[in-house]
Amino acid sequence: MRILIAEDDFTSRRILKAVLAKWGYDVVSARDGHEAWEKLQSVDAPKLAVLDWMMPKMDGIEVCYRLRQMEKTIPIYIILLTARDSKKDIIKGLEAGADDYIAKPFDNNELRARINVGRRIVELQASLVEKEKFQGVIEMAGAVCHELNQPMQVISGLSELLLDSLDDNHIKDDIKEIKMQVKRLGEITKKLSGVTKYKTKDYLTSKIIDLDKAAE
Amino acid sequence: MTAKKILVVDDEVAILKMFKKAFRNKGYIVWSAESAEEALEVLKQDSIHVMFLDLNLPGMNGVELCRQLREKRPMDIIYAVTGYASLFELAECRGAGFDDYFQKPVELKELLKAAQDAFEKIGRWKKR
Repeated sequence: MRILIAEDDFTSRRILKAVLAKWGYDVVSARDGHEAWEKLQSVDAPKLAVLDWMMPKMDGIEVCYRLRQMEKTIPIYIILLTARDSKKDIIKGLEAGADDYIAKPFDNNELRARINVGRRIVELQASLVEKEKFQGVIEMAGAVCHELNQPMQVISGLSELLLDSLDDNHIKDDIKEIKMQVKRLGEITKKLSGVTKYKTKDYLTSKIIDLDKAAE
Repeated sequence: MTAKKILVVDDEVAILKMFKKAFRNKGYIVWSAESAEEALEVLKQDSIHVMFLDLNLPGMNGVELCRQLREKRPMDIIYAVTGYASLFELAECRGAGFDDYFQKPVELKELLKAAQDAFEKIGRWKKR
């Protein structure tokens, strides 16, 4: 999982990066609040962030506050890291939008444990979003299938009746084609009703449901 | 030979018209109904033992209708014809007593074969 660290002190930043990398995280680092803010704004920004409070350009509190103003499907889990540890500071940090708070100098194991909490929460949120999307897909699939299958039945049936009653082969060929295309439509609605997973594929600049993968 | 009678139930008039034509072309006598309630009325008027029911009907649905019919008509052949098929629906249909289950859009020749099979079965059961 990716994690952003924001720490202006060079040595502290290097140590933190090394420690997190050792624990298996893919670390994105920022040297000040402004850089952290920029990096956390992108659509594929890390979902976890450890921010130092005292930083030049923009402090950790300001970054927290701005991040919370932004609407994100899955909010970024923020841990504030700082030497300021009075009750008043802790409250200020949490109210600005931090999810947790660790005082410097910190115990490595405690940091690791608290980041794990964040990771759990981020994963839970991601799975909830996935479930909701999937529910939406199923509900739409049901409505669409049912609505479409009715008129398709009429077209298909009437084509079959025409084929039975006509002798002209040219006309029959055209009607056979109509019937075949309706059968294709029928296969699409069958796939729609067989959707069991939320699977998407790229479509121009966004995504659409990948019917073949979703109905496996 | 007694005439072979079929009941078709669907809330879509165009579908009823089309099914009626298809079955009549093959010599069956076809009764139709646009709802489960209407179907129950029709069944009082004539002796019909082969039925094709849409499941999504206004008022009482096709599954409930089948359950009701099964209580008093164990020898009838009742088929489900549905616009939205899910595993849940299939299980429910079996539980309700449907003899078979078709997903729209279904080919007429499949339904015609089902009707033929139904009458063959009933004929066999009556002889035993």
